[in-house]
Amino acid sequence: MASSSGNDDDLTIPRAAINKMIKETLPNVRVANDARELVVNCCTEFIHLISSEANEICNKSDKKTISPEHVINALESLGFASYITEVKDVLQECKTVALKRRKASSRLENLGIPEEELLRQQQELFAKARQQQAELAQQEWLQVQQAAQQAQMAAASASAAQQAGSSQDEDEEDDL
Amino acid sequence: MSRNNPNKDSQTPDAKKSISLPVSRVRLIMKSSPDVSSINQDALFLTTKATELFVQHLALSSFNNGSGKDSNTLEYSDLAKTTEENETFHFLTDILPKKILARDYLKTLEQMQEEEEEADL
Repeated sequence: MASSSGNDDDLTIPRAAINKMIKETLPNVRVANDARELVVNCCTEFIHLISSEANEICNKSDKKTISPEHVINALESLGFASYITEVKDVLQECKTVALKRRKASSRLENLGIPEEELLRQQQELFAKARQQQAELAQQEWLQVQQAAQQAQMAAASASAAQQAGSSQDEDEEDDL
Repeated sequence: MSRNNPNKDSQTPDAKKSISLPVSRVRLIMKSSPDVSSINQDALFLTTKATELFVQHLALSSFNNGSGKDSNTLEYSDLAKTTEENETFHFLTDILPKKILARDYLKTLEQMQEEEEEADL
């Protein structure tokens, strides 16, 4: 927990993060509170240890900035060589992520298809779509027309039949 | 906010999946070390990861070597014990004050005071 007074020496890793790690490492194990507090302080101590050692190694080399190499050598000389493999994996991941990000930004530019061609393809697709729509609309219109015609014809024959029927009746009346 | 999301580092969001500790805090602690000037970003990640491994190592080592295994509890004394027995953890001796009972401490204080008073007479 960072001290509000701003004193550098009070800097520690947040307790919650440590608790989480301990829980993941020792699931189902109770941990005394003072033990937790101690682990938090041990972390700070460890970071100081590694930083100092890495810094010394860095000074001996002609570099001004502490590099991953310096940190790895520091781990080795302080007896934490067993950490090196896993730690190197993270380094690899960082590099991969950085590489991916660089690739992704250039991927779009390097699709292999120039923009004019893409535009042309797009227009083609639009034209095709419009044509299909037009054909569909025409078909529907024809169907409506046919239906209308049939309806007309049906109506016409029905009235014709009616007329024929009524004129017969008139003839009969005259005969009587 | 940073407490809830210790992985906030706008530089490389994806690499954070393998790191749980807050990188920014680690950087602050490193810089508070005397003489440390500039740290390469990758070196920072490395140190953070190493610190994680350290926590795991310390916790496991203490639990397995200590009496905690029977009671299924990790105690302060387990940590103290593993620090003494493990050469790699010797750098922790300074921050591991030997714990004594309060009454023992008070007794020792009293004794010291008595000795002083006798010396004055």
